Amino acid sequence: MSEIWQGPLEKIDDFRWRIPRSYKPGMRVPGVIYADEKLLKDIRQDKAAEQVANVAFLPGIVNASLAMPDIHWGYGFSIGGVAATDIENGGVISPGGVGFDINCGIRMLKTNFQYDEIKNKIKDLVYVLFSDIPSGVGSKGDIKVSAREEKDILIKGAKWAVEKGYGSAEDLECTEEYGAITGADPDAVSERAYERGKAQSGTLGSGNHFVEVQMIDQLYDADLCDEFGLTEGQVTVMIHSGSRGLGYEVCKNYSESMMRCLQKYNINVPDKQLACAPVNSPEGKAYLGAMKCAANYAWANRQCLMHLTRQAFERTFNMSWQKMGMFLIYDVAHNIAKIEKYTLGGQEKTLCVHRKGATRAFGPGHPALPQRYKRTGQPVIIPGDMGRNSYLLVGTQKAMEETFGSTCHGAGRLKSRTAATRSISLDRLLKELESKGIIVKATGRGTILEEAPQAYKDVNEVVNVVHNAGISKRVCRMRPLGVIKG
Amino acid sequence: MKNYEIIDHTADIGIRVGGGNLAELFSNAAMAMFDIIAEVGSSTRQITNSPISTSVKLKADSLEELFINWLNELLSLSAIKGLIFFDFKIKKIQENFLESEAVGQNIENYRVNTEIKAATYHQLKIEKTTSGWQAEVIFDV
Repeated sequence: MSEIWQGPLEKIDDFRWRIPRSYKPGMRVPGVIYADEKLLKDIRQDKAAEQVANVAFLPGIVNASLAMPDIHWGYGFSIGGVAATDIENGGVISPGGVGFDINCGIRMLKTNFQYDEIKNKIKDLVYVLFSDIPSGVGSKGDIKVSAREEKDILIKGAKWAVEKGYGSAEDLECTEEYGAITGADPDAVSERAYERGKAQSGTLGSGNHFVEVQMIDQLYDADLCDEFGLTEGQVTVMIHSGSRGLGYEVCKNYSESMMRCLQKYNINVPDKQLACAPVNSPEGKAYLGAMKCAANYAWANRQCLMHLTRQAFERTFNMSWQKMGMFLIYDVAHNIAKIEKYTLGGQEKTLCVHRKGATRAFGPGHPALPQRYKRTGQPVIIPGDMGRNSYLLVGTQKAMEETFGSTCHGAGRLKSRTAATRSISLDRLLKELESKGIIVKATGRGTILEEAPQAYKDVNEVVNVVHNAGISKRVCRMRPLGVIKG
Repeated sequence: MKNYEIIDHTADIGIRVGGGNLAELFSNAAMAMFDIIAEVGSSTRQITNSPISTSVKLKADSLEELFINWLNELLSLSAIKGLIFFDFKIKKIQENFLESEAVGQNIENYRVNTEIKAATYHQLKIEKTTSGWQAEVIFDV
């Protein structure tokens, strides 16, 4: 592992730490990291904090380069970073601030089952999920689309899937951007990207993507749980995936073209992977149009995966998904750039908010929320590693004021994949998981080890920080029962 | 024998790889990448089908860009054609131009370990050494 980061971290309070602008000439704003003392020690173990400082170089960046407690070393931007740029003031958009897996995200659905009712069927269920959901590197699905239909997916997102019969209109209401962000420009997407997207709708992919059956093991807010219809012991499901090869291709195409923009627009950034262009430039607009296409593809993909999940439950329990109460709570993106309005210093500003490994967390009353969540605030879904917990939170007004309506996205890696593979044996890990009653099925041989709980920070500590800092609020906690991975 | 080393990186995987000349460097880097994906370097691999050859021609503004484009082009072709590449014949190479044949086999013949999304410019190093060339690159996995 790399050496310990020695840069300055000034304590603002127990959960906020500042990297002052003076740390590096060229920083336009300070960096702010949300963490407690313990997590801060882990954060110093790699170069993530340096990357927070590097992001502060971006033209038009406002307030601060932010990092959530699950922050870790990425390429260019850290994972767990939030950066907002002022569009009217030369603000830039950076493909590296979104990532290769555009709109990698997560959705959570509930069921009417209590764990005790189905505990003997969990193993069967996991095996059916594993056989019905295409997973693994380069996995291709049964949902094949023509080139014309693919364009439709890029514009309509999850709505395309619902029109095909893969879900209901209610699902769309419970998806960020109602499952399709407006302004997608299919002409800005390369032929190669289309080609890669053709056969991958309704496929999980590999790495940290998963479908996980869980049960609620702790309630934090009785009112909110009532509102969401959640009780202790209830079985829930999480689905984590993204835009697959289509998204990687879009990111790659525009990272390349934006490398040339650095000179053209006279932009100075300390890492080439921070290549960017003004949001209002032709290059910026083209990337945004293409990124939105990939985002919509991802929402369609998660909608298809949810359809396959519901079918697997139907096959296992011989009941319709509606009867099993398999309703979507919410779907959130955690690798995306969004054009959003905020009030800064008494003035309304249109900002380009990059969330790279960060989740939107809009507070109660926000106009972007559907009626059903106006009172509660936006549901925020935080998956942990496969051996510990996951969380349902809601967004808060404080997040609107402090973090451009953003919060953490998961546990955050602690160990590199190679270190994880070295330090844990597969047999021991599977025994450990089995002793906790967790059934795991994975396509890739290396995946289980690379994704071992020991490779991650403790999600409980991460969520503790965002809850105590007030940028989101705990609703309930889940623990895993069965998981399928790529 | 592996002719590359793994560099630790929290979220991703990096490699350090060398070659006597540019052609060897590019070929060894590609080999290392597919070794991470599907252990193409392992001697236990069985070739069951006849290999499929694909031509790759690239232009770039710099050697760094050529290197990254080369690796990313192979990842794209691998995904689209469903192939794992294991042999790279670099026919012509300059700092801004490359012409090669990549030879691969159907992905179903391999035990696939890891997906690589892309090769990144983050901390990319390509250097001339006393014995030839050395490169360090970090992959997004």
